[in-house]
Amino acid sequence: MSTDLSHFKDAFFEESQEHLTTIEEGLLQLEQRPGDIDLLNRIFRGAHSIKGNSGMFGFTAVSQFTHKMESVLDQLRSSQMVVTVEVTDLLLQSLDCLKTLIDCAKSGEAPNDELVSGLGGRLEACQNGGTATNTVAGAAPPIPPRATSEHHYTLTWVPPQYLFQRGLDPTQFIKELGELGRVKIVSLDTSRLPKLKELDPEQCYLGWALELDTVKDVTVIEAVFDFVREDSTLTIVDQPPAVASSNDQKPLGEILVESGVVSQTELNQALSQQKRVGEILVEQKAATPEQISEALKKQSDNAPAKKTETPSIRVDTVKIDRLINLVGELVITQSMLSDLGSRFEMSQLPVLLERVAQLERNTREIQERVMGIRMVPIGNAFSRFPRLVRDLSGKAGKKIHLILSGEETELDKTVIESIGDPLTHLVRNSADHGLETPAERVAAGKPEQGIIRLNAFHEGGNICITVEDDGRGLNREKILAKGVKQGLIAESDKLSDEQIWMLIFKPGFSTADKVTDVSGRGVGMDVVKRNIEGLGGTVSIKTTAGKGTTFTLKLPLTLAIIEGMTVRVGKDTYIVPLLSILESIQPKREMIKTIVGKGELVNVRGTYLPLMRLYDVFRLEPELSDPTKAILLILETEGERVAVMVDEILGQQQVVIKSMEQNFRKIEGVAGATILGDGTVGFILDVRGLLNISRNGTAQAA
Amino acid sequence: MPKTVLVVDDSPTMRQMVAFTLSSAGYQVVEAGNGKEAVGKVNGGTKPDLVVTDLNMPEMDGISLIKEIRKMPALKFTPILMLTTEASDDKKKAGQAAGATGWIVKPFNPEQMMAVIKKVLPG
Repeated sequence: MSTDLSHFKDAFFEESQEHLTTIEEGLLQLEQRPGDIDLLNRIFRGAHSIKGNSGMFGFTAVSQFTHKMESVLDQLRSSQMVVTVEVTDLLLQSLDCLKTLIDCAKSGEAPNDELVSGLGGRLEACQNGGTATNTVAGAAPPIPPRATSEHHYTLTWVPPQYLFQRGLDPTQFIKELGELGRVKIVSLDTSRLPKLKELDPEQCYLGWALELDTVKDVTVIEAVFDFVREDSTLTIVDQPPAVASSNDQKPLGEILVESGVVSQTELNQALSQQKRVGEILVEQKAATPEQISEALKKQSDNAPAKKTETPSIRVDTVKIDRLINLVGELVITQSMLSDLGSRFEMSQLPVLLERVAQLERNTREIQERVMGIRMVPIGNAFSRFPRLVRDLSGKAGKKIHLILSGEETELDKTVIESIGDPLTHLVRNSADHGLETPAERVAAGKPEQGIIRLNAFHEGGNICITVEDDGRGLNREKILAKGVKQGLIAESDKLSDEQIWMLIFKPGFSTADKVTDVSGRGVGMDVVKRNIEGLGGTVSIKTTAGKGTTFTLKLPLTLAIIEGMTVRVGKDTYIVPLLSILESIQPKREMIKTIVGKGELVNVRGTYLPLMRLYDVFRLEPELSDPTKAILLILETEGERVAVMVDEILGQQQVVIKSMEQNFRKIEGVAGATILGDGTVGFILDVRGLLNISRNGTAQAA
Repeated sequence: MPKTVLVVDDSPTMRQMVAFTLSSAGYQVVEAGNGKEAVGKVNGGTKPDLVVTDLNMPEMDGISLIKEIRKMPALKFTPILMLTTEASDDKKKAGQAAGATGWIVKPFNPEQMMAVIKKVLPG
């Protein structure tokens, strides 16, 4: 039977995420307001919904675990227990565990049973009046599955007389038994059958006796008769077959223990000395440790891959309604136009123009609304931070107050999903490096509690996200010294403050004196910058010694539309992302140099940049082949620059990106395509790809 | 000829999930939001081969609906399954006394539900 409830499941997972967030936020607030019954009710309802829904989808691990959490919450709610740090900790840990369980349910992976049963045990202990400080001792050993030996049952069943009147059919029961195993002898018991004239055809007077061979437990057989058990006469006798059907060989150790030759502890000791195949092979020098670990990796790679997740999005119904409304208007406009077209006379031209203008308005509005569907409030990405900061302050021994604002600011869902990690890193960074310890703060005349502020707001066509702390600020000297030490800059370099701050985004840069659990592991800030730039955004730093540091991320609202400069090469039009254009120049003859093996270079105010003739790259017929008559665009990405030669700059416009990979294939140097105003296709240049081409000298016709 | 199942529940989500599971299994499903609606559907010509009903509903509850159905000559022997919550034994008894065939305990998954339905609805 294939009843696929997967689309209800997606709804369940999405809904569960909401409940998880509610619970988490609630628990964190509960620490501040332990007596808030409304809050407790909200948390309880979240847990209750997850329990109920997960049960419906057969995620028993989830529903059982949530049930335990719910019991503790219920006691808190009914004031049978008070909110303490221990209880909150336990509940938060359980919540993490629940998240994992739900993720496991989603991906079909097996959860960490030990953790689950351990926390489950603690929750039960907590609920039973004990404190939550119990260890993982609650983990009960798994019950070994019972040997699957076959049973031989003899059944007699006399159903209640009302059987038919409740819509029951006795043959159904026998059929169901037949599905459990082999039904052998069936005999009909007609002893209760009355004389014909006394017989009521709507009553059941019969009984049955039969033999059944099955591996199933007696409870399974009883379950068949669930609906009639109370009024039936039912006997089930299990006669074990004479010969034990189990032919599984017992392990040697077990036999030795059973016969008393060795004790269980001795056996366990011996077993623990057993070596793994890999270890033995390495000892025999038959394989190197590297080969073994590679083989192990292969083994784990071959393990079933995680189920891929199809992304979905929850959209406010108001947005959908507006959209439908607009589509309605579009249809009206369309019918008005076709009506006009069927009997058009030149005198109606003004009407036609008016209709076309209306069509344009409709289209633009629909475009905006459709874009709006992908927009979700950034609060979703922010919601993880209260918990993170709570954990961080515990670990780092600092007092941190987190202030969130601008949560309602909307931006593209893909952007939100991609900024989570960079933001987390920045917050960790602020908590670990930015803020001082309480003692240092007091000594500096600041309040003991440090502040981290996350804010989001719109600015032009961009969204800005700031991560601000009131800590010690960046240390100019320390960064400079480190930069020199790492060879990133020369000691003689004169750098502006901004340039110095940007050093912390260089790979491998870390000024942390000690590597902590929280940050300072040498990976990070460079990844943050790369991620943000990958999204077409920028990172900037503002800092004042002793006052604090602000990181500002500037991101485009959506990845589907970019601000571009249209340029012409010969007869073709290309779009260059505006963000990557530094300047455009018309070089003088003496600025161009040709160097053997490096191609052409152009000297821009003392720096030599590789010069790329776009018509060479894409094998086009140019109008101009003399750089001094053409235009050079200086493009930059990830700190590298290149000068690209084009015939003419046409203008600036927003373009909708269409994927090349999905419609054609990947072409180096081209990020995508778009439809231009005149209906022709224009390619959007990929600056990163162009840099690669200039380095490797490989050009591909497009 | 697919068998017809009358699904009666006031919660649209529950109704949808039950209906979806049943129609995936090849049954024809008729939905009703409460007992009164269900009686209306039957009087309007629906002849279900099975009735699946919730108990707690506005207008006409499940118990009254079961009694009504058992009074109809055409549906005298039609299996009726009630949806009950975990340990409500009283409800089960009341339902059976009214003529219900069996019950499906909430929460249930599609497999569990289909297993119970297979119990009472001849294949």
